[in-house]
Amino acid sequence: MSIFSNKSEKIFIYLFFAIGLFIPLFLEGNTFYINKFSTIIILAIFVMSLDYLVGRTGMITLGHAMFYGLGGYIFTILAPEYEAVNFWVYTFYVMLISGCIALIVGLIVLRTSGIYMIMITLALAQMTFYFFADSVEYGGQDGLFIYIKPETSIFGLSFLDLENETHFYYLCLLSLFNCFVFFKVIMNSSFGRVVDALKENPDRATALGYNIFHFRLIAYVLSSSLAAYAGYLFALQFGFVNPSMMSWDISATALVMTLLGGLGSVYGAIIGSFMYEGLHYYIEHLTEYWMFFMGALIIVLVLTLKHGMAGFLNNLSGGKR
Amino acid sequence: MNNKKKICPSVLPATIAACMIAMSSGSIAADSDPIKVGVMLPFSGVYAGLGESTRNGLKQALKEKGNTIAGRAVEFIEMDTEAKPARAPEITSSLVDNQKADFVIGPVHSGVAMGMIKTIKGKDSIMIIPNAGANAATGAFCQPNVFRTSFSSWQTAFPMGKEAYDMGYKKIVTMSWNYGFGKESLEAFNESFTKAGGEVIKEMLVPFPKTEFQSYLTEIASIKPDAVFVFFAGGGAVKFVKDYDAMGLKGKIPLLGSGFLTEGTTTAQGPAAEGVITTLHYADALDIPKNKSFRQDYEALYGKPADLFAVQGYDAGQLIVDAVTATNGNTADKAALIQQMGKLEIDSPRGAFHFSKAHNPIQTIYLRKVVDGQNTVVKTSYAGLEDPARGCKL
Amino acid sequence: MDTSLFLVQLLNGVQYGLLLFLIASGLTLVFGVMGILNLAHGSMYMIGAYLAYYFTTLTDSFLLAFIISGAIALVIGIIIERCLIIHLYKRDHLDQVLLTVGLIFIFNATQSFVWGNDPLGVEVPEILSGSIGLTDIIEYPVYRLFISLLCLVVAATMYFTINKTRLGMMIRAGESDRAMVENLGVDISKLFTIVFAIGVFLASLAGIVSAPIVSLVPGMGEHVLISCFVVVVIGGLGSIKGAFIAALIVGIVDTYASVLLPQVSSMSIYLLMALILLAKPQGLFKN
Repeated sequence: MSIFSNKSEKIFIYLFFAIGLFIPLFLEGNTFYINKFSTIIILAIFVMSLDYLVGRTGMITLGHAMFYGLGGYIFTILAPEYEAVNFWVYTFYVMLISGCIALIVGLIVLRTSGIYMIMITLALAQMTFYFFADSVEYGGQDGLFIYIKPETSIFGLSFLDLENETHFYYLCLLSLFNCFVFFKVIMNSSFGRVVDALKENPDRATALGYNIFHFRLIAYVLSSSLAAYAGYLFALQFGFVNPSMMSWDISATALVMTLLGGLGSVYGAIIGSFMYEGLHYYIEHLTEYWMFFMGALIIVLVLTLKHGMAGFLNNLSGGKR
Repeated sequence: MNNKKKICPSVLPATIAACMIAMSSGSIAADSDPIKVGVMLPFSGVYAGLGESTRNGLKQALKEKGNTIAGRAVEFIEMDTEAKPARAPEITSSLVDNQKADFVIGPVHSGVAMGMIKTIKGKDSIMIIPNAGANAATGAFCQPNVFRTSFSSWQTAFPMGKEAYDMGYKKIVTMSWNYGFGKESLEAFNESFTKAGGEVIKEMLVPFPKTEFQSYLTEIASIKPDAVFVFFAGGGAVKFVKDYDAMGLKGKIPLLGSGFLTEGTTTAQGPAAEGVITTLHYADALDIPKNKSFRQDYEALYGKPADLFAVQGYDAGQLIVDAVTATNGNTADKAALIQQMGKLEIDSPRGAFHFSKAHNPIQTIYLRKVVDGQNTVVKTSYAGLEDPARGCKL
Repeated sequence: MDTSLFLVQLLNGVQYGLLLFLIASGLTLVFGVMGILNLAHGSMYMIGAYLAYYFTTLTDSFLLAFIISGAIALVIGIIIERCLIIHLYKRDHLDQVLLTVGLIFIFNATQSFVWGNDPLGVEVPEILSGSIGLTDIIEYPVYRLFISLLCLVVAATMYFTINKTRLGMMIRAGESDRAMVENLGVDISKLFTIVFAIGVFLASLAGIVSAPIVSLVPGMGEHVLISCFVVVVIGGLGSIKGAFIAALIVGIVDTYASVLLPQVSSMSIYLLMALILLAKPQGLFKN
């Protein structure tokens, strides 16, 4: 059985990663654009994790940016100031610690649902924001800097230099690919099927003996750890973390990107991120009041494009769901 | 097949011709290429007013020279930072790597400044900060290619310590928002006030950007200090001064501040601002010829009075003009430009100043008092104050 | 802390709490009856404040500005409900979040376009501009007492309306069983329009009345919105009584925390919320 749910998804993924692989060759070392693409790809990882949570598991959170910020901060705080640490080792640390935090947060938050969950996740994210913003040790409002980027050797072999923008780009692309594969695998697994069932009809699933709470908690922890990983990459890109990474408008914007791409499609996260960033970049150059048009666009999309771009593409290719 | 054969022979000469044209125009272009000035300021959000003033001042300086320096036109590339530190690296990279700007002017917000400095470090571009006052920008994080035409937070608060003591206040409560600029201002005040013999009996840090001050004012009233020294700016400054008055503290406990408490806020503050004493490197009513002519020209150009941020933007513009003139229009050799900039004296509306080794203005700080809604200069508080540039290796 | 200081801080806390109630009540009312979470609620607060500024400057009378701004807020509420919110009734919560986020963007851009980004202020009306001496050094602004009084009046009016009038009956019925209410012949769509308009009116009213004591800056709506969320979650979604009590608690806790525990003061209300939720996941008063 194919890993893809429908034809448009398959075409998009092949196309996207094929183009993604070769784009740096066409950009001829124009670091601005390479960096821009890296940034959007990192965002796509973050949005994908959110889409899985909101779209597939049905848990709506307005505080996902909390983990995004935590990913960056955990690394910056753990890593020694003037020494290059190992990227892979620290990836493990970041995801482990953020996973533990997600576990605790999930225990509080997952007892609620719907509107309550939205407001509580938002409030907890705000709390974390203030924790870092008001702190003295963690850089406060101005944030923290990373002076030396990690090195990427495995058993002494290293072929990625994170200071090189193109290498970093490929790392991000690879990460996005892994993230996508990861989500597809769990969605197609028996775990994923239970999660789907939970979303469709929670009462029935409970009646069948599944412990909803456990499944949702696992999904929450997985999704949050990946959001933290995205934040970790963000911190590495420019060597800089700041409490604004955790602000609620990052969470809200990510939700908008999820919508644009198509809720629950997972691959739509990539579409949504590129669409939003692209539109932002374009409209921004036209007018100072770009927020107005962005807001109008969001409203129009909510009212008309019910299943986002993924739904639209799916209809185009005449594919079944 | 036949078509292919016909096209191929003509392609080669055309390519060669194109290359030659490109190369030659490349060498001609260098001298009449515009000077690229990247402008990174907030044009939306809370700080947009400051961004606009700064840009106005900057452009006024260039306009006075017909937008040409040493025969080269000046091209502005403007980008909105929204005063968001997270956007700093990306926008700086756009201006420096993509647009190849010779100069980058910005930002307003200190958090953005830190991100900018980190990105522009070692690059072939010169950053001129027209506002952000974080000490570190010309302190621990100073760079050869970073200049500042505004101030360091230390400079705006340090002189007030001694002034306060000389005014007879021995026990003072200080208050500010809990963020870099605020804390630095309070530290600087503390430094000089304690040295003069005074005592800061309590330091109150309000979470940024909270503007609900009731509980803090009540606390101050119960402590009954000789005076209160605060740092607030913008909306917070408006609210604080008004609330201070409404709580009945104004007549009873003198209010002192670093200049931002009453800069651009006196109209909104109304009668509550009367009598508030501050220290700053500028005052609208400063009675020197350069200030008068600058303000006149600004108002004629933009239809509203100039403010501190316009002055700082104007001086950034003057810095570019003078520096590029000194190198006869050569902007390719950044090291030479930097060398010239380090030696220049800027004829500023705030009074002439030159730069310290850390590239921060060595300037006069004035003691001001709000009279009839205007900051009047009471006296010169400290002439030629140089920021200690702690941690700077330049 | 001596007694007089303690009492003045209590007064500060209650005053802040009452204002929070005024804003939060609209949010919880709309949610309780219509099931809609309006994230642009904070924007309505901001609009109220800016309209008050505009009309006070225009007419030199705060009272007139008060009335006109209030009327305009009602109209805006009706328009938003009829044109946009109406489409959300059959949709899920996420769509509500997204649509109202879009509204926030639009309102913020409009505010920036019309009034610019400099902080603005409104003068306290003459008759209310005095201060009452409380201790030898502390005076309490009359205007803040007026605000507290206004909030209490609004609270009482809401209580009366909901419990003693026909409209209130429909609101209570709509909260429990929408379909049944429709079957009984009540024009549910008209009810929703009225409720939504009242909801945003309350937020705008809070903005109008706060204008003389806050500084009007871009983003003021979102800041207030999040405090609102905390109040509504603690109080229990949809419960106005809950919102009242929660608002007072939040106001008092925030005030005391700011002077007693400055290091954690900004986190204090969120900690409070987390603690209450651990004990009562649906808030203090379940709807």
